[in-house]
Amino acid sequence: MKLSSEVKELITFVSVILLVILVFSYYFFGITGMKVVLGIAIMPLPFYIILSAFNFKEGEKTVFSILMGVTLFPSLAYLIGLVISFKLAIAAAFIVFMAAAAVAWKFRKQK
Amino acid sequence: MKINRNYLQTFIFVLVYLFAIYFWSQPYQERGIPYGEYDAMSHFEVADYIAYNDKSFSNLPPYIDLRYGADNDFKPHTLWYPPTFHSALAVSEAIGGERIVPVYLMNTILATFIIITVYFVINSLFGFLPAILSSLLIIFSPRDFMPFLWGQWPERFGYAFIPIILYCLYQYFISYSKENSRPGYLYLTALFLGINILIHPLVFFHSLAGIAVLYIFLAIKQKKLALSWKHISVSAIIFIVIFMLFPYQTFNIFSQFGRNTADAKQASFDLSRLFQWSLNPADYAGSVPASYFSFSNMHGLWTLPFLLIGIFILLWRREEKDLFLLAWLVALYLVLHRDLIGKATFLHRSLSASAHIFAPLTAVGAVYLASAVKLPPKFNTYLKYALVAVFVYLAFTVNMKDASAILNKNTYNPNPVNGRLTSDFLKTLTQPQFEAAEWILENAPPDYNLSVLGIPYKSNFLQATAYKIRWFAAVSQHVSRFYYLYENKTQIINNPKWYFVLDYTMLGAVQDKEAFDSMQAFEKEVLANYTLAYNKNDMRVYKLETKQ
Repeated sequence: MKLSSEVKELITFVSVILLVILVFSYYFFGITGMKVVLGIAIMPLPFYIILSAFNFKEGEKTVFSILMGVTLFPSLAYLIGLVISFKLAIAAAFIVFMAAAAVAWKFRKQK
Repeated sequence: MKINRNYLQTFIFVLVYLFAIYFWSQPYQERGIPYGEYDAMSHFEVADYIAYNDKSFSNLPPYIDLRYGADNDFKPHTLWYPPTFHSALAVSEAIGGERIVPVYLMNTILATFIIITVYFVINSLFGFLPAILSSLLIIFSPRDFMPFLWGQWPERFGYAFIPIILYCLYQYFISYSKENSRPGYLYLTALFLGINILIHPLVFFHSLAGIAVLYIFLAIKQKKLALSWKHISVSAIIFIVIFMLFPYQTFNIFSQFGRNTADAKQASFDLSRLFQWSLNPADYAGSVPASYFSFSNMHGLWTLPFLLIGIFILLWRREEKDLFLLAWLVALYLVLHRDLIGKATFLHRSLSASAHIFAPLTAVGAVYLASAVKLPPKFNTYLKYALVAVFVYLAFTVNMKDASAILNKNTYNPNPVNGRLTSDFLKTLTQPQFEAAEWILENAPPDYNLSVLGIPYKSNFLQATAYKIRWFAAVSQHVSRFYYLYENKTQIINNPKWYFVLDYTMLGAVQDKEAFDSMQAFEKEVLANYTLAYNKNDMRVYKLETKQ
């Protein structure tokens, strides 16, 4: 798969931003802070992919997916955590939403 | 190398936002000990219980149920709010691998999320300068960070949804026509509105008011109704699905609404309220400081001319994006005057949303003022940047200075500040108390209770030290009671299910020798049969060993 220069630029920019945030988190909150930031970076990922299947702007996808990630993701983890370990529920919630993202991606390709 | 302008602006915003995180997180950066008023304890308790015990719960654990068991009218002894917000904190704790910093850091990120959403919306509609200036002002907004410090955590996060909900509706309406439309925006409006109710019902009603006003404004402006039953039906389904995720909690809103309606019968209609923006501080004495109701103290008097100019410019121009901000402002006015229809519950809390719309209006006023003056274009640009420089200078020298007096490294510091103890010594756990509470968490069976001696309990201390015992319960995850104020003392003495915690760390500071002597005698006489299980830093924990 060949990435366009725009996508490459975006990936570079996001990496720089993430690096700055991780350094900041480590300086003020140590390894714990870095882990929390990484967690926040991962939770919105499936929602970003889902929104990418539709015609939203980059900024919209970013902000909307973070808001969904820090709310819908923990909500599902909580519900699954009623029957299994909460840590496993976090993993399960991620799998469920990633599966939904895969479906959305497939839907986009078909369109 | 050419740098993408959008990336550069986003990078500047990220730096501003990281500064916000730094500024708001000062109270726990070094100490790593939980703090806040009763609300903070409850939110910490729920999140921490889930993460620490690695399980969600339906019925409240005893130490939470003791206070909140009756708060859910629809389904007593369950969570009184949907667990969405608390689960986010719990996920953070589970990933972070420790109890305090992850919860407080995640909460700081969620509480400051309004800075992100305001930046995003204002940047999308009005451009970078008004957006970044708005963000800067909100960082130093005491009406935002004071409730965050006190513990109205979900509410702070809930407000971040209002600009997003209005933005989604705005985009739907603007793009709507019979031939072509963007229903995705309406579906997102419904989705975020549903999530909003899971975060905090008060903010949900605020969002509803915003939706109604914005829709009316845009309908008048564009002389059309964005009305598609298909879109509305799909949106309604999305909202209902989200609403039904936690029915015990969301249906509680109706129960509480009924209760509040009954209270409202005593409300009186005071017409003069229509001409007042803020509320009477005397009505909230003891709850929030009088400064909370002061424009000057909360926003800085220097912002007022820019705010008024901003409103005037928008009213004069009345483009769609101008109506967006005006609708947001009118919605706030409506929710702030709901007492006129008898809905006065938490009225002062709605005031905490004022900076979210005042800041953009002020920034728009400052940035657009330059172009309102007739000058050669070049001079207009110079004037604009001069005004922006003045704005930034005043934000730091006035707003940040005032904010730093309230929010700093010594906020909720139980340790001596400049060699002297403050009232926070009585409200927040000290390191020895925190360690003892953690020892109990790790060593006492979950169904055991704690009886605590040594925390000052005389009338002049009682209110403040009640915080101490509640924080002790939160950190130890055990029901904790004042020994001296507990009525059924005979039930707990020689009962193996009650541990005794003797706290000798506070009596010296409050010079209570009588209590000290009484505790010494208590140890010798009442606890003679008990085993001293923990003895560190003037904290002692006794337990009654039972013969197997």
